[in-house]
Amino acid sequence: MLTALAFALALGLAFFVVKPLLAAGTDEGTLPVDVTLETDLKRRRLVVYDNIQDLEFEYRARKIAPQDYQTLRETYTTEAAHLISESHEVDRQSTEEAFIEREVAARRVRRKAEVVPDYTCPKCGFENPLPVKFCGECGAKLGVRD
Amino acid sequence: MNQVGSIGVIAALAFGLYAVIAGVLGGRLRSLRITKSAERATLAFFVMVTLAVAALEYLILTDSFGSAYVASHSNRALPFYYKLPVLWSGQEGSLLFWTWLLSIYSALVVLMNRRRNRQLMPYVISILMGTGVFFSSLVLFVANPFTEVAIAGAGGALKSFTPPDGNGLNPALQYPSMVIHPPMLYLGYVGMVVPFAFAMAALITRQLGDNWIRTTRRWTMVPWMFLGFGIVLGGNWAYEVLGWGGYWAWDPVENASLLPWLAGTAFLHSVMIQEKRGMLKVWNIVLVIATFFLSIFGTFLTRSGIVSSVHAFAQSNIGPFFAVFLGIIVLFSVTLLFLRLDFLKSENQLDSVVSRESGFLFNNWVLLAAVFAVLWGTIFPIISKAIENQTVTVGAPFFNRFMIPIGLVLLFLTGAGPLLAWRKTSFQSIRQNFTIPLAAAVVATAVLYALRVRGFYVSMTVLLTAFVAVATIGEFYKGARTRQQTLHENFAQAVFNLTMRNTRRYGGYVIHLAIVILFVGFLGQAFKSETKGLMAEGDLMHVKDYTLRCESFGTGDTPNYEYERASLSVIRDGRALGLMEPEQRFYTASQQATSHVAIRTSPREDLYVVLAGQDPDSKKAIIQVFINPLVMWVWVGGVVFVLGTLLALVPSRVEREMAELRRQHEEALEIQNLDAEG
Repeated sequence: MLTALAFALALGLAFFVVKPLLAAGTDEGTLPVDVTLETDLKRRRLVVYDNIQDLEFEYRARKIAPQDYQTLRETYTTEAAHLISESHEVDRQSTEEAFIEREVAARRVRRKAEVVPDYTCPKCGFENPLPVKFCGECGAKLGVRD
Repeated sequence: MNQVGSIGVIAALAFGLYAVIAGVLGGRLRSLRITKSAERATLAFFVMVTLAVAALEYLILTDSFGSAYVASHSNRALPFYYKLPVLWSGQEGSLLFWTWLLSIYSALVVLMNRRRNRQLMPYVISILMGTGVFFSSLVLFVANPFTEVAIAGAGGALKSFTPPDGNGLNPALQYPSMVIHPPMLYLGYVGMVVPFAFAMAALITRQLGDNWIRTTRRWTMVPWMFLGFGIVLGGNWAYEVLGWGGYWAWDPVENASLLPWLAGTAFLHSVMIQEKRGMLKVWNIVLVIATFFLSIFGTFLTRSGIVSSVHAFAQSNIGPFFAVFLGIIVLFSVTLLFLRLDFLKSENQLDSVVSRESGFLFNNWVLLAAVFAVLWGTIFPIISKAIENQTVTVGAPFFNRFMIPIGLVLLFLTGAGPLLAWRKTSFQSIRQNFTIPLAAAVVATAVLYALRVRGFYVSMTVLLTAFVAVATIGEFYKGARTRQQTLHENFAQAVFNLTMRNTRRYGGYVIHLAIVILFVGFLGQAFKSETKGLMAEGDLMHVKDYTLRCESFGTGDTPNYEYERASLSVIRDGRALGLMEPEQRFYTASQQATSHVAIRTSPREDLYVVLAGQDPDSKKAIIQVFINPLVMWVWVGGVVFVLGTLLALVPSRVEREMAELRRQHEEALEIQNLDAEG
């Protein structure tokens, strides 16, 4: 009895394991990116800010001599400035990219919405190049479709 | 029930294999669906190994002596609380236990990374489950705990047989700290697979920023804490059970647990340089590989019986399998590391030799030197056997000659490191920070000389413990004073807020204080003394300022063992301190004897009394008395070590900000996914 239950449990788990593979639909999701350039820069900026805060604190606690404090502060500030400008650059690029993507998407939508009249002859299949009421090839009447 | 256990192991092995393949495929194809399936297989692996463990525990607790494992390692009279550890007392059970702990860690990794580290996870799963497949294969094919006792019947055919009672648990294991010591060590050994898996996944996916480092910091600290605490508990067991008056003998299996702990300590320090400065990227990967390798090597030494040790309860044929597995680990990880060297370039250079970074780096070298010294001494018997066909065992003097100086250098760095600034430290800063701790060290040494205590190592230990203690406490004091001045908090509030602002740093300082306390305990070893004598009822023994009077010496029995017991009343300075009752026990089922030491602990010293047996001529009790100064501080140090690590695990303000950033990123990803699906 117990052996049968253990066996059933293993089978149940096997179904649980393969279930994601059997899910309906063919559109398979891909694994998302863990770290983007943007978040990485933000994180590095946080680290430098934290370093500056620590430095200020250690200076006030008299752990760091004034000359060391000055040099280190300058180094960290420069580092932070670089990271900020890099972030801005990434932001600018991503804003531009987002703008382009938005434009492209909007155009696609507009295109879909636009009525494109079709002058292909339903009888002989000739694609009439101009808007006409009768087919230029076989003379059949064209029922213009939207 | 044996069948249920077998189904558990077979199914676990199948799920493990599936997870390895699905993980690789999911990672290669970047498929969410296959990765999800691999994650589910990891959870299924956990469920099935748990079933196998439950089946074995059931067999143990119900005294099912038809099971070969239960018959060899348990008996009816064994108290309930000693039946639980039967699971890990033998080879087969302990390998199953190892697999179970791995399955728990793996399931936790899956559950905690459902929304993060998505690109790393498929490969993390493959590596975790690759290890799982190795261990579950060992359990299934080499050391199976689910076999039945069989005897030859008529015509030589084997038939199952249920003996009336079992052989019993090794008496040395029938001790309270033995119930938790092995699980602690195992949790330490097994847990080191997680940082290794993340490091390898980062190498495979070329995501070699510090994302994997930040993810694995806690996953390294937890097993590191278990390993450290397990080592101290092991020392406590050796001290209270083995009856030789000490707690550390450089036994190969003790060393095996120390090795990954030392490598892990180096890793936990050097990751800070990568996080702060983007340096030592290759080095950190090497340390993760070394830590994992040494963990498996430790398990190998403990379980294979390849070197003789007090843990000789594991002698078997699993050695070659472990050797192959260790070879695969090295080959796989080192090849991968070489292939990815271009992605591991340092973002910065070392600015100055006198800086926090170089302090950490030096600490790493010394820790690695310690690893090599201990490793060399531990495997020397194997090497000598292979080369000269003669086993040469390296004893405590070898280890002490190397490890005492190395330990003292590490102790110095424990205090000096935090006093150095990142990037570079000028002479003025050094003078500012080092003056008071150095003054304390000089005063402590002067007091020692005034007390006529001599000896180079003793003086150095006192000098350095004073230096480190004052330097570390000074960090709390200076920080709290600064908060008081700027934020107008009271002192206690200031210490609390200071600690909570950066739990990692101040938790680390608490661990440094634990190391100081441990060294105070070690210092006592230089002053221990030993006396031996024969005693009958009414006899007195004088040891230092203690007087021991033998009140009785007799025998008795319990269902589990027979014993000889001496009752000794202890008097110091004319004041009765109570009764001490050392025993010699003879366990009926296993037919083995063990001593049960009587210890009177105080902060100053331990009075440690062993009943070594009965003198055959005089029929008197052979009493051995040790005065072990300061031993209590070793156990106190162990507890403070755990508390410090727990404190360092609490998320600090900076980490909370980082977590918020990550949460925002995850939310953005989810919106993107929804958009894509919509």
